[in-house]
Amino acid sequence: MNLNEAKTILLLYRPGTADAEDPQIAGMLALAKREPEMARWLEEHCARQSVLRAKFRQITVPAGLKEQIISEQAVRAMTISRQRRNTVFAASAAMAAIVMFLFVLSSSWLPHHRNDDNTLAIYQNQMVKIALLGYYMDLATNDAEQIRAYLAKNQAPSDYVLPAALQKVAPTGCAVEGWQDKKVSMICFRTGKPLPPGQQSDMWLFVVDRASLKNAPASRSPQFTMVNRLITATWTEGDKVYLLGTEGNEPAIQQFL
Amino acid sequence: MAESLEFEGLVARYYEPLYQFAFSLTRAEADACDLTQQTFCIWAAKGHQLRDASKVKTWLFTTLHREFLGSRRRQTRYPHVELEAAAADLPPVPPASVNLMDTPQVLQALAQLEEIYQAPIALFYLQDCSYNEIAETLQVPMGTVKSRLSRGISRLQELLGGETAGPHPEQTHL
Repeated sequence: MNLNEAKTILLLYRPGTADAEDPQIAGMLALAKREPEMARWLEEHCARQSVLRAKFRQITVPAGLKEQIISEQAVRAMTISRQRRNTVFAASAAMAAIVMFLFVLSSSWLPHHRNDDNTLAIYQNQMVKIALLGYYMDLATNDAEQIRAYLAKNQAPSDYVLPAALQKVAPTGCAVEGWQDKKVSMICFRTGKPLPPGQQSDMWLFVVDRASLKNAPASRSPQFTMVNRLITATWTEGDKVYLLGTEGNEPAIQQFL
Repeated sequence: MAESLEFEGLVARYYEPLYQFAFSLTRAEADACDLTQQTFCIWAAKGHQLRDASKVKTWLFTTLHREFLGSRRRQTRYPHVELEAAAADLPPVPPASVNLMDTPQVLQALAQLEEIYQAPIALFYLQDCSYNEIAETLQVPMGTVKSRLSRGISRLQELLGGETAGPHPEQTHL
């Protein structure tokens, strides 16, 4: 065996791993102890391997990815669960005897399970989807008072308190959305960044009654979470939960709080 | 509830290495996020079919790699060229110490390798996977993994300006 063949085998060697237990590599390592030139090459190789390993491991993971995976899965599981329930209901409706059973079920079992639907993660996910996947603006206006009046007229939360910085951002309109049989006020804003043609808003505030969320934030101190491609800030003030979302990172949204 | 806690635990344990593997293959944050999310989505639907709990890690990495190959096939059928792709046509990085390279440069060098070398090398450096684990993940024989790693690392080090163990005109016999 020549020196280059030995080096080719040792290219696979990573110091500090179980590679040394591989018989072929173990043989070459023993050889390197006897051959000064080989030993020198091995030392440099180990240094290069360590650097390359470190470089690969410096790949940074985007903030909020874990939460996004978990919340997406929760939404998916709920959808499947609802579809299954709907199938059961459809089949059961044909049989009068089972109607009674369903009545009991719906008055006891179903409400219990509905509680699992009202977690903050699912709420955040659904609201962000509304913002990203399209919505009809019920009222298009830059007048904050008109927006408040429209929401009040439609029994959606209208006595919300905007953070001082957000009060300075121009609203573009509002819509009334739903969550757990409660109305959600959706107020749309334009931050001033260039927007693609046809897009009027790039920041959205959702306001809902605190009672409709099981694990609402405890205080006015915002919780930041990456949901889909929006950075969101969620906080509680009084009897309302506020969810603000926009594209970007945490500093991008903090300037509006 | 137990299932969802189990799922959360699994995500907490593996989402970072999976994302890093995905990013080393795609070099695009959005694509890497999608691949990672898709991998857990498939786990949620099919993970219960896995009988051997010790194979979870391999299963996840295999699934992500398969999804990556699938997405690559779709892109080949319906090519989507972005400006960043032009960077792949640039000449190899000039010789310099590997120490001076930053992670994007290392990944750029990885991208210049033939595709068959990229995944084994990413698993080799990112996860400290054994040769056998890499073989199981990529579903190729261990001998193939070793030869791909050896050629791939040699080529990667060439691109990064390091010394390699390639064929030499005057070979010293031991």
